[in-house]
Amino acid sequence: MTLSAEYLATVLNSTLREVTPLLLVTLCACVCSKVSVFNIALEGTLLTSAFFAFLTQYFTRNIYLSVLVSVLVAMLITFIMAFFIVHLNGQSMIVGMAINTFSLGFTTFMLSMVFNTKGTVNAMTPNGLLTGLTKLSIPGLRDIPIVRTVFNNLTVIDYLAFALAIVTYIVMYKTVIGFRLRAIGINKSAASSLGIRVKRYQIISTTISGGMIGLAGCLLTLGSVTLFTQNISAARGYVALAANNLCKGHPLGALLSSFLFGFTKALASVLQNTAAKQQLLECIPYVSTIAAMAIYNVIARRKSKALS
Amino acid sequence: MTRENRNWKKTLLAIADGFSQPLVAVIISLFLAAIVITICGENVFTAYGAMLRGAFGNSFYLNDTLKRSTPIIMGGLAVRIAWRSGYEAMGGEGQMILGAFCAALVAYYLPVPGVVRIVLAMLAASVVGAAYSILSGWLYERFQVTFIISTLMLNYIANYFASYMTNYVVKDPDGLDINAVQTGKIAVEARLQSIFSGSVHWGFAFALICVALMTFLFKKTSFGYKSRMGGLNPKFALYGGVNPRKMLYLVMIISGVSAGLGGAFEALGSKYRYIDQMIFTTGYAWSGMVAALLANFNPIGTAVASILLAGLSTGGSAMQRSTIIPLEVCNMIEGIITLLMSVRLIRITQRGYKTKRKAKGGARA
Amino acid sequence: MIFEMKDITKVYEDGVVANDSVSLHLNKGEILSIVGENGAGKSTIMKILYGLVKPSYGEIYVKGERMRFRTPSDAMAAGIGMVQQHFMLFEEMTVAENIVFKNEIRKGLFMDMDKTIETVRALSEKYSLTIDPSARSADCPVGLRQRVEILKILYQNAEIIIFDEPSAVLTPLEVDALLETLKNLAASGKSIVLITHKLQEVMAVSDRIYVMRAGKVVAERMKSETSIEELAFLMVGHPMTTRQIPAVHPGSRLLEMKALTLTQDGRDVLKDISIHVDAGEIVGIAGVSGNGQSELIQCITGLCASTSGQVLVQGKDVTNRSVREIRDAGLAHISEDRFVWGSAVQATLEENALMGRQDSAPFSSHGLVRHSTIRSYAQKLIQDFGVKASSPTQKMQELSGGNAQKLVVAREMSMNTPVLICCEPTRGIDIGAMESIHDKLVARREEGAAVLLVSSELTEIMSLSDRIYVLYGGKINGEFQRDAMDDKHLGLLMVGGARA
Repeated sequence: MTLSAEYLATVLNSTLREVTPLLLVTLCACVCSKVSVFNIALEGTLLTSAFFAFLTQYFTRNIYLSVLVSVLVAMLITFIMAFFIVHLNGQSMIVGMAINTFSLGFTTFMLSMVFNTKGTVNAMTPNGLLTGLTKLSIPGLRDIPIVRTVFNNLTVIDYLAFALAIVTYIVMYKTVIGFRLRAIGINKSAASSLGIRVKRYQIISTTISGGMIGLAGCLLTLGSVTLFTQNISAARGYVALAANNLCKGHPLGALLSSFLFGFTKALASVLQNTAAKQQLLECIPYVSTIAAMAIYNVIARRKSKALS
Repeated sequence: MTRENRNWKKTLLAIADGFSQPLVAVIISLFLAAIVITICGENVFTAYGAMLRGAFGNSFYLNDTLKRSTPIIMGGLAVRIAWRSGYEAMGGEGQMILGAFCAALVAYYLPVPGVVRIVLAMLAASVVGAAYSILSGWLYERFQVTFIISTLMLNYIANYFASYMTNYVVKDPDGLDINAVQTGKIAVEARLQSIFSGSVHWGFAFALICVALMTFLFKKTSFGYKSRMGGLNPKFALYGGVNPRKMLYLVMIISGVSAGLGGAFEALGSKYRYIDQMIFTTGYAWSGMVAALLANFNPIGTAVASILLAGLSTGGSAMQRSTIIPLEVCNMIEGIITLLMSVRLIRITQRGYKTKRKAKGGARA
Repeated sequence: MIFEMKDITKVYEDGVVANDSVSLHLNKGEILSIVGENGAGKSTIMKILYGLVKPSYGEIYVKGERMRFRTPSDAMAAGIGMVQQHFMLFEEMTVAENIVFKNEIRKGLFMDMDKTIETVRALSEKYSLTIDPSARSADCPVGLRQRVEILKILYQNAEIIIFDEPSAVLTPLEVDALLETLKNLAASGKSIVLITHKLQEVMAVSDRIYVMRAGKVVAERMKSETSIEELAFLMVGHPMTTRQIPAVHPGSRLLEMKALTLTQDGRDVLKDISIHVDAGEIVGIAGVSGNGQSELIQCITGLCASTSGQVLVQGKDVTNRSVREIRDAGLAHISEDRFVWGSAVQATLEENALMGRQDSAPFSSHGLVRHSTIRSYAQKLIQDFGVKASSPTQKMQELSGGNAQKLVVAREMSMNTPVLICCEPTRGIDIGAMESIHDKLVARREEGAAVLLVSSELTEIMSLSDRIYVLYGGKINGEFQRDAMDDKHLGLLMVGGARA
């Protein structure tokens, strides 16, 4: 009994660790979609910022600086995305794919230039052992057996992610700025007819929200494990898009939808110890993303029918 | 007379307009990459010289480039038809993976004469590619799952599935290297033979035929007209009696067949087997998308752009061999080109923009 | 004099002169109307006034001070507000939120919702524009949404309020309320500019009237010294003629609906519609927009599936068939919106002219299209309907709205089908082109076609139709023969009044 409870706690723990990066990216997607900027550069942004978090840590051994650089890089890329889409009227799909293509090439290029590999660099670098983000162990929690497992190995950014969901909610739904941003997302021309500089609002808000992807990037490379591997983001950016689709851009809904997808991802890694083959397990998150979207749409349609 | 003159002028301007944008995009991105190369401590001219020689320098390299362009052309055509018909699907990669995988299996296992095997392998790739493409179409039509999400997810699923099969089910039985995750090598008679003496194989010729077919399809048939109108304004097409459902599936089938065949050509003419991750890591489908974009979705232009992009990557490998610059710099160039192609950089003909604004105003007023 | 424009000229980059030294002024507390046909330049002058368009030459003065408006906010800062024809609302937000946008009532960084609602309520009471501040604006009927727009401007403390075709979307009752509001606002010291072509309304409320034609102000009149007839004459430049339609005896039944019903989201959008159109008949559907006209047409033409009932074209049951089958049964359809349904703006005129006949001879055979045939056909349409275009290979978006409409009308009328569905055929078209389209409609009727005409212009329906059905709330609320038409009674039925 205790064993299975302990096992469940492990699953929950790895779910949490999968959820938080996804949640942060989804929150950025939420803000972007609320101001009607279709951001599919999430994937490339995540990958590049994850790389820079690792790289900065490798060169400076300063974890604060690593987080800062990662956040700034993510904001820079998101700014470029927003500038091209909003200011230059670029097609969002193409801008996003361009950034994603570039990011994969760029990180592999840098990986090869700096670390002389195109695969994985783990914490044991030629330059000595890297340390990741400090794992928090909260007094109270660390003494209760099963709860301890659930919250094991979580970093401050993991906790921050949940807080940011609430902060994003408050900013978007309670403040004047958030009110204007949502209004812009609903009707751009109405907002600009009243003299609001719509493009500026869109670009600044998306850029700031991009910072959250930077935090997610830190979690990937300096979180529960400290390593960088080629294409480490592994479609999380796209899954975040789906998660955002499910929660309709609501930051609190993002908690739920990213939990759902984080769980499938965790399931895949937890089941790795079983007889099931790894490659098939890897499919679980992707299959369940499609399934969740389909089921959600069917339910939504039923609901609107039931209303009638 | 004057009218004809004006028409000529207009056509020339339009052509110049069509070429100027990709040209500027390519130049800017090469320039940016040159900065990166310089920072890395290499001479730009040495690096680009190596790249150019490695892409088009002699018949061996040229062959290699053309061979490499084959799946890119097919991927480009797949993107072209889907996007121009209004479906922003990016499932070419998944379809190409399954196409290559199935073609490799059919050509390896089927106990029939060589030529029949090739035909059946290509047929299998077409069917599988189309089916996978239809799947995303079905998800869209039946469940409103957007193309971007469904196709991207399906790409990963296809890759993992093929990887699983190659690892555990159809792994090369007589391979010498136990670590190589690949299917068995296709017998010589079931391979796409080289056209000349070099490595470029008949798949390239097929791809060019497909370009011609595609051009014909869009210029001359009522299907082409309907799909184009559906892409420009789906409501208009519906209003004019076009069956949107039929169009969706037809477009998905053609797009899927194209991508699937691209995979088959790669397996039958280039690698002679399916090697785990062989489509995923080379990014053929994405290059195809970039090529289609560069050519503004013109099929012939897509083929030309595909060859250039293939040259970029064969040249990149050459550069990697002779300098310290890794070939991924080419992905960066590709990314920057795409980014620059997403916006209007320069405008030779002023017309389109202004009138478009006017039409918008008109719609509102 | 609160506002003055001196010698305003606007020449667009393509050389079109939209305004030619227009001078006008506005007095405090006055209702000023600017009337003119489509394309007379009134919307450009209004856009200049509101900072949306920069004039090429000329000066603008507000309260004697020279102004240069670069954006609408400059105009707004100078006390000028505009109620646009198409509302600029944040649909999913509340009325109060819509009104305070940009000048929110804050509590630190946060919205003070209680105070917002209170303020909006006080404002609406001050100008007796009753509204529920916490209602979602998407749920408000059109009249109320316009009220939100007016309150928005009042909240910004505008002194001068421009109304652009404000009655176009309103029901007759709502129009009355609007005119009352205009008078109230003027009485409370606001200055009003009313831009419209509805002369009855102009005569009902304005103090002074400018008439524009071909980019110029051709006349200035005090209301007391003019009449509808004079204004109409000044607008058009020649006297209006009333159309004489020869009697035609209706023939066989070409279009028929039997108890057609459409239920959407639990609401009967269409209920038990049974109407018919015979050969040699123009049948009008009168009604205020949004009473089921669009849905009715969509159900007939196959763009929307009906819930129950039947549609027959030439006696053939085509209920809920595909658009293709319905068109093949002998029906053509001029859509209500030329850009949403009727065309693809990025396609060429040829391609737009082909739509609907892409699978039929002589334009295509065995799945192949014949470009030369299509080109000469498009050329013919352009000539026959006077579309101003340089070549059939031009893009649709290069045409003006009116010319685009002509091409859509040309395409559908030239199919020569027994049944013609005709929705807002003359929307956005100048009077000359309107007359010619009307002539062609009548000609089709004389050839024995059945024409179903839907229009929000009651005069269009009344002047062309042999019979009229009144549509109200998705139901047929009355039927008139040509000789029994009475616009008062019709107007009453259109807003749900009982049948006589």
